[in-house]
Amino acid sequence: MSAWHQALPLTRRAMLGGLGCAGCAALAGTAEARIRPADMKPLVGPGHRPTAKDEQGLWQQYERVEEEIAGSNLLVRDAALAAYLGNVAERTGGPAAGDLRVYLAHIPEFNAFMAPTGFMVVFSGLLLRMRDEAQLAGVIAHEAGHFLRRHQIRQWRDLKRKTAAMNFLGMAAGLGYGATGIYAGDLVRLAQLGGILSIFSYSRELEAEADAMGLKQIAATGYDPGAMPETWQQLIEEIEASAEMRRKRPKRGYSLLATHPAPAQRMADLRLSAKEVTTPRGVERGRDRYLKALGAHRKTFLDDQIKLNDPGASLYLLRNLAKDGWNGLLRFYEGEVWRLRGQRGDSALAGQSYAAAIGFADAPPEAWRAHGYQLLKDGRRDEGLAALRRYLALAPQAPDAAMVRHTLGE
Amino acid sequence: MATRRILAAFAALSLLTGCAGGSGGGYGLRYYRLVEPGPREVARGSMVVTPTIRWNRAPRGPDQISREENWTLNGPLLDGLTFIGGLEHDKRIVQQRRKADRKVPNFRSDMSPPEIGGMIESFYRVRAGANEFNVTGLQPRTFAGRPGFQYDFEYLGGDEVWRRGRAVGAIVDGRLYLALLDAARAHYFPAALPEFERIAESARLRR
Repeated sequence: MSAWHQALPLTRRAMLGGLGCAGCAALAGTAEARIRPADMKPLVGPGHRPTAKDEQGLWQQYERVEEEIAGSNLLVRDAALAAYLGNVAERTGGPAAGDLRVYLAHIPEFNAFMAPTGFMVVFSGLLLRMRDEAQLAGVIAHEAGHFLRRHQIRQWRDLKRKTAAMNFLGMAAGLGYGATGIYAGDLVRLAQLGGILSIFSYSRELEAEADAMGLKQIAATGYDPGAMPETWQQLIEEIEASAEMRRKRPKRGYSLLATHPAPAQRMADLRLSAKEVTTPRGVERGRDRYLKALGAHRKTFLDDQIKLNDPGASLYLLRNLAKDGWNGLLRFYEGEVWRLRGQRGDSALAGQSYAAAIGFADAPPEAWRAHGYQLLKDGRRDEGLAALRRYLALAPQAPDAAMVRHTLGE
Repeated sequence: MATRRILAAFAALSLLTGCAGGSGGGYGLRYYRLVEPGPREVARGSMVVTPTIRWNRAPRGPDQISREENWTLNGPLLDGLTFIGGLEHDKRIVQQRRKADRKVPNFRSDMSPPEIGGMIESFYRVRAGANEFNVTGLQPRTFAGRPGFQYDFEYLGGDEVWRRGRAVGAIVDGRLYLALLDAARAHYFPAALPEFERIAESARLRR
């Protein structure tokens, strides 16, 4: 099969880019003292507009990028979910509350980025990994922190000072074609290169600022500030779990982290800062609200992730979500992870997960199908056929109904 | 011209992705060959199919397995026809690194039709940048005179183009035989479908 139009291989490394990338920034500083949330003041007011010429130029470029993104068919078209994300941004955006726009791209990566003009792109893979609204608010507030602290223009000016990065804007804005003739403007590539192109990755100092600014904002809004170090921890652990399952070192993720703020240091800073801003009223997690807003998308985004067949990462994130309780959906996809991995003994593990999944009232119809075919393979014909009949009863319009009926001999 | 651009793009992608280029001999040095109407052996001579119009046989790509053959009418970005013939149990359908983070599952001779569909879906998600993938149909169908399946799908690639696909195949003596059409949803898929159907109907195993 040809994959001429293939994108670059997806790496979770890229997500380091958006979520507070430690990587490859131009402003590599030496180890610095922790930046305290209390010291973070927003540098933009409501309705911020650029006055300096270079910033105006940057804005013009990004206004075009936003136009392209707004029209991209990679966006998740769900007005209610978009409004919900916009609302979380508004709650955590401080003085920029009324100026932030959030776009949700259907890309299975743990990533998000903030443009200098006040729009933010959040990837569906990020929403999948959030356990509750507090975690989501932490990421959004971190990104908004870049905007509130004017990081893009600061970084851009610094880069101009230091390098003759003539193509930087073109690359960053993704408006041009590279020398290779590959259109570099699509979102997928932005998602993947997020950690590599310096535009969306900031120095340790700027990341620490965004962390502190974000913490201050979510605490002020009433969210549990502890959600922020949690998210960062999940990210690191997922990369490790993925590498471990493939029996390799999480090397690139680590080299990025190693040359930069040691993840341990950043975690320690985040935890300290979180404690600092925790108030008796700052404990809101908003899990029910988050799950309600996400609705059926959680299944879609899970499906996207599991079918990438990255078993270590997928199992990690399933188990992480299951800290709030296992259900039929998570058990079914656990089975899918084993089945797709397909090593010796995985089939039996998959069978166990499917069997567990159908014990939950919220098991998706596909769990019955998978359970049925698994039983047929195990020679348990009658039970298998019964499970397939159940599948058809639950999903009579399923696109594969004809095939399943054929299996049933109908 | 278009070919050159595609080759350049692909070479650049290969560089970026660090593909080793399994076929050897350098990708750019191999060319498309015309396939005339009439019975043809495909996929290492494992099947015989009978096209009724002229196709272009694609040079072997770096990710391609040896039991695979690719044809196109208007260039692989617009339409492509893939044959896989006689793939054995526990073999992969695309070249990939053993320790890649994301891998297309291997073919297994005990796969149920939904699982074969899932394997194809994983190929598109892992290797072709598909962010959205919808199965539009899975039904029994005879292929090369054997009971098999027809799998219909559509997907949105990383290049933001919607494509449609149809795979028709069967597992015979534990081996996978498959013909797959993959083309831009606008115009190219419906345009190529009648010929694909003729080819799929004409397929015979040659063992």
